[in-house]
Amino acid sequence: MSERPTPDELAEAIEEFLAGEILPTLGDHRLRFRMLVALNALGIVRRELTKLPPEDAAVQRELAARIRASDVPAGTLAQVKAGVEERLRIASPRYLERYQ
Amino acid sequence: MIADVREALQEVLGPVSEPVLLAGGASKEAWAVDAGGERLLVRRAGGGVIHRHTLSLRHEFEVLGAAHEAGVKVPRPLLYIEDLEGREAFVMERLEGETIGRRIVRMPVPERLPLEMAAELAKIHALEPERLPFLEEATIERLVDEFDEVGEPHPAIELGLWWLREHRPPRREPVVVHGDFRIGNLVVDESGLVGVLDWEFAHLDDPARDLAFGLVRAWRFGADDRRLGGIGDVEPYLERYNELTGFDVRPEELDYWELAGNVGWAIGCLTQAQRHLSGQERSVELAILGRLGAEVEYEICHLLERQGVT
Repeated sequence: MSERPTPDELAEAIEEFLAGEILPTLGDHRLRFRMLVALNALGIVRRELTKLPPEDAAVQRELAARIRASDVPAGTLAQVKAGVEERLRIASPRYLERYQ
Repeated sequence: MIADVREALQEVLGPVSEPVLLAGGASKEAWAVDAGGERLLVRRAGGGVIHRHTLSLRHEFEVLGAAHEAGVKVPRPLLYIEDLEGREAFVMERLEGETIGRRIVRMPVPERLPLEMAAELAKIHALEPERLPFLEEATIERLVDEFDEVGEPHPAIELGLWWLREHRPPRREPVVVHGDFRIGNLVVDESGLVGVLDWEFAHLDDPARDLAFGLVRAWRFGADDRRLGGIGDVEPYLERYNELTGFDVRPEELDYWELAGNVGWAIGCLTQAQRHLSGQERSVELAILGRLGAEVEYEICHLLERQGVT
């Protein structure tokens, strides 16, 4: 599944926020220095992420197209829900507790 | 920038206090300012719009005026300004009370709050559409168009849209609706409902859609067991609304439009993330919505299960 934002796009958003909005507000020179180090580390993470193979959205794309064509056999919801659950375990794992 | 906004405001309002930019509202700026002994709020266009059916501030100002005249609890609209430092804006009364959803669901609110919400909706739905000729009618199809523009595969949203196509309730005559009537857009204090804010999504629609929007789980702010916006039960709310309007909205219609509200918000999360990804408005808050939309998709699956879908 190719979720947007991708991991690198998320890291980029954090980088822009820290460098563009937080760094200019830091007066303490030690904090400024450590923020620059943190941004450097984030840069390493971003370059590391580019080595990952892109995820394949083909299965989701086919499933989505099938449902759009009103081809919804029994068991479709269970399949869809399992896919959403898998994404939530990455995006917001604690949210699932709200349904227990 | 504060000095520029202050200067521009003084040209139309006379001497004003130093404007304070309030938090919240990604697509609009809200400035608190005092002038002539009055507490005012200036709503000014911001970096973008949430979706393309958002009303212009001029039209929002007109809707607010019509609502105010009809006795809906809203901030009194004062003045439309076509060009406030290069962007349109309007000035209205600044109401006192709490608007942050997460705080409202934790504060002691009177038991009659759901009834007051029902009463405001009844008044809104009785507004004359002829008075607001620019309002458009919303459809499920419009939602599909917005989703298709994002162009990402989301089977849970597709499944929600499929169910909505298959189970459409009998059509009701469209009325003027607020379009975003939920905790978070209401000013509340210990005595109850103070005012209804954020009219930028007003349009013509099935009244039950407006009535059910506040049931969407994301707008319960963690108080999930209270289905009406984390503050109360739906039954007395629906009963009061039906008494006041005579519309006889059935609970099944609320179920239908609650699901529609969730599908709409799941798509909204994607379009918000697109604003970041396209460079229209770079923001880590918008970016993360692209991922948090999975929460809303999970709720769609949950609601479909309750409808007996497998």
